Amino acid sequence: MVGVAAIALATAGCAGSGSGSTDQASNGEPRTLTVWLMNGSAPETLTDSLNKEFEGANEGVTVKYEVQEWNGIQDKLTTALGSQDPPDVIELGNTQAPSIAAEKVLTDLTGDVDALHGDQWLASLKASGEWDGKQYSTPFYAANRSVIYRTDMFQEAGITAPPTSREEWLDAITKLEAKFGSDPQFQALYLPGQNWYTLLSFIYDEGGDIAKKSGNDFKATVNSDQAKAGLEFYKQLVDASGTTAPKDNDEQNPEQAGIYGQGKVAMMIALPWELGTAAKDNPDIQTKSSAFPIPSKNAGKTAPVFQGGSNLAIPLNSKNADLAKDYLKLLLSDKYQGQLAEAGMVPGASTDLSALDANPVSKAMATASKNGKAVPATPKWATIEAGQNPLKDMMTAYLTGAKDLDTATGDANTALDAAFTG
Amino acid sequence: MTATIQTTAPAGATPPAPPRATRGRRAGLGEKSIPYLLLAPAVIVMLVLLGWPAVQVIAISFRKLDLGELVRGEIVWVGLDNYTAVLADPEFWTITMRTVLFTAAVVAGTVLAGLLIALLMRHLSGVVRIVVQVTLVLAWATPILATTTVFQWIFDQQYGILNKTLVKLGFDSFAGFSWFSSGASTMTVIGLLIVWQAVPFVCFTIYAGLLAAPKELYEAASMDGASSWQSFTTVSWPAIRPLVTLATFLSVIWDFKVFAQVWAIRQGGPDGESTTMPVLLYLRGIAGRHFGVASAVAVLMILVLLVLTARYLQLLLRSREADVS
Repeated sequence: MVGVAAIALATAGCAGSGSGSTDQASNGEPRTLTVWLMNGSAPETLTDSLNKEFEGANEGVTVKYEVQEWNGIQDKLTTALGSQDPPDVIELGNTQAPSIAAEKVLTDLTGDVDALHGDQWLASLKASGEWDGKQYSTPFYAANRSVIYRTDMFQEAGITAPPTSREEWLDAITKLEAKFGSDPQFQALYLPGQNWYTLLSFIYDEGGDIAKKSGNDFKATVNSDQAKAGLEFYKQLVDASGTTAPKDNDEQNPEQAGIYGQGKVAMMIALPWELGTAAKDNPDIQTKSSAFPIPSKNAGKTAPVFQGGSNLAIPLNSKNADLAKDYLKLLLSDKYQGQLAEAGMVPGASTDLSALDANPVSKAMATASKNGKAVPATPKWATIEAGQNPLKDMMTAYLTGAKDLDTATGDANTALDAAFTG
Repeated sequence: MTATIQTTAPAGATPPAPPRATRGRRAGLGEKSIPYLLLAPAVIVMLVLLGWPAVQVIAISFRKLDLGELVRGEIVWVGLDNYTAVLADPEFWTITMRTVLFTAAVVAGTVLAGLLIALLMRHLSGVVRIVVQVTLVLAWATPILATTTVFQWIFDQQYGILNKTLVKLGFDSFAGFSWFSSGASTMTVIGLLIVWQAVPFVCFTIYAGLLAAPKELYEAASMDGASSWQSFTTVSWPAIRPLVTLATFLSVIWDFKVFAQVWAIRQGGPDGESTTMPVLLYLRGIAGRHFGVASAVAVLMILVLLVLTARYLQLLLRSREADVS
């Protein structure tokens, strides 16, 4: 049995825990603060100076800083949170945060929001950290998708300015196809069938959402007219762009950055660092690329975006919760949030995005980020993402013609509702 | 063997008694206990590593154990709630039926293909046979997920070699055909993948049995004018029957609980139509973090597996000489 050993091991780890010994060590005694941040989040220069500053300000405290991999982090957190000696500060993916908060295994930070620069928090990440009217995790940083495009191809096709409306966007695709369409490998826009983050953007743009909140409960709204319109536009885009991306897979399979890197794709809807991945195979592409925010149906505006990102939390069993709060205070200060922005991320606790303007790709992301939303802040969402996502099934079924619009959205709605209550 | 070892029987602290009086009885005791003592380390290791987790899983299946309970170390007994929750879900019965049918199809395919290749190998000349054997070993030795990735590429909608080949052969409708858009075709691809990986072991096992069949019997059969089918049923089959049974039994166990390939191909999709019981277990336990419910699924899986392998277990328990055929 696959899960048997894992379950048995996980439970063995919890034996006798939970007595909640929060007695604090007396002053001056050496203490160790264990911090887990994720691979690729805060740059090393930032964490080095942060840990140094923190150790300098707190005598006798050593920061044990450990970088974790996203792959398998859910299992690792489950085991770590259950142990007697969990890390004191952890980073959580924002879609994963509500599920952990709802289990009441994190320290309640409601009383510390102001001290942790709560007035500058990014709204979508703040919402991910809330459960049952309490704040269990703080924003860390966010990122969202924009349209990364080839400036040289746009020029050759006679497109003078990046599109600022859906119409202009479709128009640009037509022009690109006219110019380069003779090459069978050319794709004006690479768009796989299951890039549901992009679909969310279109649904938000229509004024819809995938679920509606009432109290702590969520009700799926994927069968609404707005959601249907969003899905229809997605199909329109797939059909117009002549993309050969698989309709039954997402942007990671195959990795879209690699395909963009081959130089036959004029646009992809991607996170800023995916351009870096593309440049690994093809260094020239970095200078030939720029980005614009996903255009809205309302000309001149940018479409709302799905905001991905990370939250920070203190496990309930942490013996150094007081120190951990001080650590968060420092990490969420203007100084370090500014460094995050310089590294190309939308800071979670600072409204100052000027550092992102230096790079055109980061700038496009920063512009769109002001209009960012997250997935429903329900504990069930982590299960949907870690398991089977009905939105992906819906997209493939509609794009391949296996189901019509009403059936596809209706089935996904039923499946999401079942997941929300299950 | 026991005669030479008996002196080392653990007499404990008891001083050696006068030899003649009790020798017979002591030797008997030693003779009896030595096999058990020799087995003890293995049994203890198995009990700790296999028995204890199994007991834990059964116990957990009667508890509510989510992340919160795990972290707080709470033990919440809920009786049969987990089982009623799992069994009340109509989806569970669909998944169980799907898993059983899938296992049956994959095992039949594996054993049949293994048997045919094994019979073929007996008739091949030296060099060709070695080529076939090396190929089989390579297919077997390739890591599961590497093979899975290759299969995903083969069946890829746009770039897959299968669609391209079919179009070249004139089947134009396969241009951009999605093999993973329905549950049935997804399960077929997964089935092929598992058969591909399982055939080498079954094939070598059966081939070993064929080698054990004395050549003279084949010669005698052909002198008596037996057809090749007759020599198969009268000479080959008796030699390989126990091995075919064994391979079938093992394949049932392996294919029933196969997870990695099923998950890697489409995470049990589309619309959950390729979800098997191990995938359900993963969804409940790891993705959903309802460890109690997941344990209930695990226990139910063991029960289904017991039913599937009941006949073999019956033979195994009944036959003293372990002559299972």
